[in-house]
Amino acid sequence: MTPSGRSSTAFTAPSRNCSWRPPFVVVAVLTALIGWRAVSLRFGILAALGLTVCAFVGLWPETMATLALVMTATALALLIAIPLGILAGLRLGLNKLLQPVLDLVQTLPPYIYLLPAIALMGFGPATALAATVIVAIPPALRLTAHGVGLTPVNFLELGTATGSSPGQLFVKIRLPFAMPSIMTGVNQCLMMAFGVVGSGGLGAAIYDAVRTLDTGKSIDAGIAIVILTMILDRITEGAVKDQGAGP
Amino acid sequence: MAIDGSETLIDCRSVWKMFGEKVNAALRGIAERGLGKTEVLCEFGCVVGVADVSLTLRRGEILCIMGLSGSGKSTLIRLFNRLIEPSLGKILIRGDDIAAMDTERLREARARHVGMVFQSVALLPHRTVLENAAFGLEVQKVEKRKRLQVAEAALAKVGLSDWGGRFPNELSGGMQQRVGLARALASDPEIILMDEPFSALDPLIRRQLQDQFRQLSKELGKSAVFITHDLDEAIRIGERIAIMKDGAIVQVGTAEDIVLEPADAYVADFVAGISKLHLVKAHSVMHPIDAFKAARPEVDLLCLTRTSADADVDELIKITLAGQQDGIAVLDDGEIVGVVTQRSLLQGVKGKGPGEQPIL
Repeated sequence: MTPSGRSSTAFTAPSRNCSWRPPFVVVAVLTALIGWRAVSLRFGILAALGLTVCAFVGLWPETMATLALVMTATALALLIAIPLGILAGLRLGLNKLLQPVLDLVQTLPPYIYLLPAIALMGFGPATALAATVIVAIPPALRLTAHGVGLTPVNFLELGTATGSSPGQLFVKIRLPFAMPSIMTGVNQCLMMAFGVVGSGGLGAAIYDAVRTLDTGKSIDAGIAIVILTMILDRITEGAVKDQGAGP
Repeated sequence: MAIDGSETLIDCRSVWKMFGEKVNAALRGIAERGLGKTEVLCEFGCVVGVADVSLTLRRGEILCIMGLSGSGKSTLIRLFNRLIEPSLGKILIRGDDIAAMDTERLREARARHVGMVFQSVALLPHRTVLENAAFGLEVQKVEKRKRLQVAEAALAKVGLSDWGGRFPNELSGGMQQRVGLARALASDPEIILMDEPFSALDPLIRRQLQDQFRQLSKELGKSAVFITHDLDEAIRIGERIAIMKDGAIVQVGTAEDIVLEPADAYVADFVAGISKLHLVKAHSVMHPIDAFKAARPEVDLLCLTRTSADADVDELIKITLAGQQDGIAVLDDGEIVGVVTQRSLLQGVKGKGPGEQPIL
């Protein structure tokens, strides 16, 4: 049994939530602040309320486990996808080489990646993480490459004609134009990571509930996933708009 | 060479630029067999962008390169700062062969000596007007306070000192292009390459900018290559005009040269619609004294109204309308050098076809 699976049965009693209260308050307040800055005050309040719902249905540990998995997977995926995407955006050859690989990764159902991971690492968050990272890489990579290759020719000419070095050309001209696309990639990466969350936290809670025919519980976990997804989606999308809005 | 470099800022010697797969073979064909651009296209499938162009930009002058779209003028101007590599020929910038420069020196030359203004303006949308104007200096790693100061001065020169804090999309097209000019001026280059900068603007604004640009470049002692597809603009701005067709230079000369003595039917077609009132000067429409005396022996030259050799047709018409005489005596250094008659005036307004002789 996975650690999170264990917790999903162990943390059903509301009294056990007491030990999670301080982090809950911290996380809720932080989310509200970030939501306020990135989207709007209304959204910040709604996000905090949403998290409160997650906590009150008794799924706070699972919610946090899912959040941790998704954030870690996204961070790892971006660590690979963004540098590789930048290279692919600059080098057409590399881009062509990567396309079929990305196509393959994206067309196979995500659970395929769980199998070898399970064989190598057994059940557990690490397995879920590995599979999630693989699935989350392609959209971020593609959108980064797309964004980097998107710079209008006249701006590249401007950079060259003013005597920019290749580094300056990238940082001062290519990157600002690529930013909206890269941020969309980050958002998509996050969404993909959510999609694969099978064995961690809320996902495990759903499986457990389905196995024991506990319909109410599975709906609760479903709602919690939706709330978490919406919060992260809207916040990253807000960041995209901030980048793109460049007046 | 050193003297040459100080007087001739850009020296472009039989430069070719071809696009296509068999450029090298085509180059051999040109070098060994002296092929022209049509043969090159037929034989090697290479599109010729610039064909055997030799031009110079002298210190302090504005050289206009005029041609229709597809004539290769934008390719040519990009050869001057090596945004495009020439296929053949040599380009000297301030006496240095630009093709021989290593990356570092080329970057230095672009940053300090050759500024460029684009038709599309290319203001970075996420930066303020001031930051845009300072872009060239930022690339040169000039310290922030200093570069913003210089950029502000450059904005003031183009009359936009109050707009530094705005973003490019808050400005009209004409203002944006002035920011583009300020950005080029901020790096204080000797040479400014202007790639159809005012083409997208409406006529009134365009005229204002033409005058402003001309005035500024004279004040600051800049030299410029100015690309345009508009002959009026070329005449307004340029000391010399080079007319381009199909990648080659058809004619180079002052506006008056080109209007009065078009090199071929293509140029003649171009200048046909141009008003000659302010372009054509007395010295180019007048008749020599001997010819006038022979044709009109009864007229006493000393009784005629006098004017200078630089008087334009507009002024000559005014004088003719004011007086009752048969001609106007043209003075140069206090001596009568020729006579302008009513017929010669009419011919000046109409323009002279190739090979036509002046009529008395």
